[in-house]
Amino acid sequence: MPAPPPRAPLVTDAIPPRLRRVGTTSRGVLLMCVIGTLVLGLFASHDLATWSQRFEAMPVLARLAGEWDDAMSRGGLSAPNEVLRNAVARLVDMGWKTD
Amino acid sequence: MLFPTFGFLLFFLVVAAALAALDGHFTAKKAVLVVASYYFYAAWDWHFCFLLAFSSAVSFTAGLLIGAGTRKRLVLTVAIAVHLLLLGTFKYLDFLTLSANWLAHLLGLHAELPFIEVILPVGISFFTFHGISYIVDVYRGDVAVCKRPLDMLLYMSFFPQLVAGPIVRASYFLPQLARPSDEPIPIAAAAVLILGGLFKKVVIANYLATGLADPVFGAPTSYGGPDLLLATYAYAVQIYCDFSAYTDMAIAIAALCGFRFPRNFDQPYRAQRLREFWQRWHISLSTWLRDYLYKPLGGNRYGAFKTYRNLIVTMLLGGIWHGAGWKFVMWGALHGGGLAVERMLMPSRPRTIAGRIVSTVAVFHFVCLAWIFFRAEDFTVASLFIAGLFRGWDQGVQQAGPFSVALILIGMAGQFTPVRLFEPLSAWLERVPLWGIGVAAGIGVAIVNALGPEGVAPFIYFRF
Repeated sequence: MPAPPPRAPLVTDAIPPRLRRVGTTSRGVLLMCVIGTLVLGLFASHDLATWSQRFEAMPVLARLAGEWDDAMSRGGLSAPNEVLRNAVARLVDMGWKTD
Repeated sequence: MLFPTFGFLLFFLVVAAALAALDGHFTAKKAVLVVASYYFYAAWDWHFCFLLAFSSAVSFTAGLLIGAGTRKRLVLTVAIAVHLLLLGTFKYLDFLTLSANWLAHLLGLHAELPFIEVILPVGISFFTFHGISYIVDVYRGDVAVCKRPLDMLLYMSFFPQLVAGPIVRASYFLPQLARPSDEPIPIAAAAVLILGGLFKKVVIANYLATGLADPVFGAPTSYGGPDLLLATYAYAVQIYCDFSAYTDMAIAIAALCGFRFPRNFDQPYRAQRLREFWQRWHISLSTWLRDYLYKPLGGNRYGAFKTYRNLIVTMLLGGIWHGAGWKFVMWGALHGGGLAVERMLMPSRPRTIAGRIVSTVAVFHFVCLAWIFFRAEDFTVASLFIAGLFRGWDQGVQQAGPFSVALILIGMAGQFTPVRLFEPLSAWLERVPLWGIGVAAGIGVAIVNALGPEGVAPFIYFRF
């Protein structure tokens, strides 16, 4: 019986072994990604609409993203995004003197 | 295709779906990852997929020939020469042409070499080093010969590390392709790495670039010393946050695909010696240079003078690896010279607390000085920038606002925060059900997205 191939050394791993004890499978990864994307789509709908406008060859994509953004805005879900963005914009514009 | 974009998110959703559907079929998974990696690379320029495939074919064939024992040294030499020729042609031909024409002009010659303006393929420096690493490791007997073309294609093209590293050694990655891992996928740690990486790139690096580093480095003579100094600090934090963010996300994405990557950064600005800085900064490159260049040159085995020479030569070549230009030569020379002088004058770490603090501050400022050459448009601009640091201190700051200064302080604070403080977050996330991690990740990405400026600038290391 041939010897098994050598395993890569664990010592240089970026994610240490103590953080690898618990985890999931490829299906779990997919589930997490899908849920994460849906949640992102709820709160960052405005950016989704902006991004989809780059696909000039697929106007239906931009239209759907625009309608989705309108629906999220009506539901107030895009408000936290706008509040944060405006707050950061004020911080960026802040100077050392207030006069 | 950049990691922090909706385009990449959709791409990864498709990859994750394919990997989930093929659970239990390891070879098919690897094939999907190869196709995904070539699609990822083709998003920049599909023509260069042929270059990547050719580079893989050279490494694979050389490995087989060396393994068969046929003229091992000749095969090694030819294969490395082919890799370096490709790198030299695409990355350095224009630089060499310009330098030769400049020299000819100085010597009063009127002949000029034609300037071709070769397009630099993204990631060529990284996949060239992957190929050389494999061939040398096979020659040295450090890794088994790769007999599956699919494994070699994946090793050379795996999309998380394809365009900006980390440089993953064949001896580290190929054994992971030999059989499927029985480890669970560390989804909590991966989520923390992705969110941390996004914050570093989208918020810290992007705002420091647009708000301070880019305008000041673009016109250094328009600003006084305080702005130039703060822009230097800003760039030091920006390049760390930019590159380490890419690495963190690459490590996490590889982990989500079921593979391990090595550590590439370890709070480099807390280094007390320049040598220690290189043990903490771009670790996969510094160890590559150490094992495939410094040691074969003789390392520290032949006396002090040759050790200093080897350090300088290694860092000079490390500088040129980053880019074709005299400013990168200067950056490498500064680091090589600094390492040699440090070895000569300060062979061990300082023992007192005050000595350690002074050393850390001195090493950080030396690294910052070298970053000025790295960042400036050219050698002349770097010289103007350094001269400007000593002028105009009565003007106060014009460009650096409180927000930029706060980001510099946050970036530097991260260098001195014990890494283990973040581990409870991963440990807590491990207990959260999968849907909860998904919700938390979605909200986290949405927050970072809202905090960052519109659009995402390319990663600095993409151009290397």
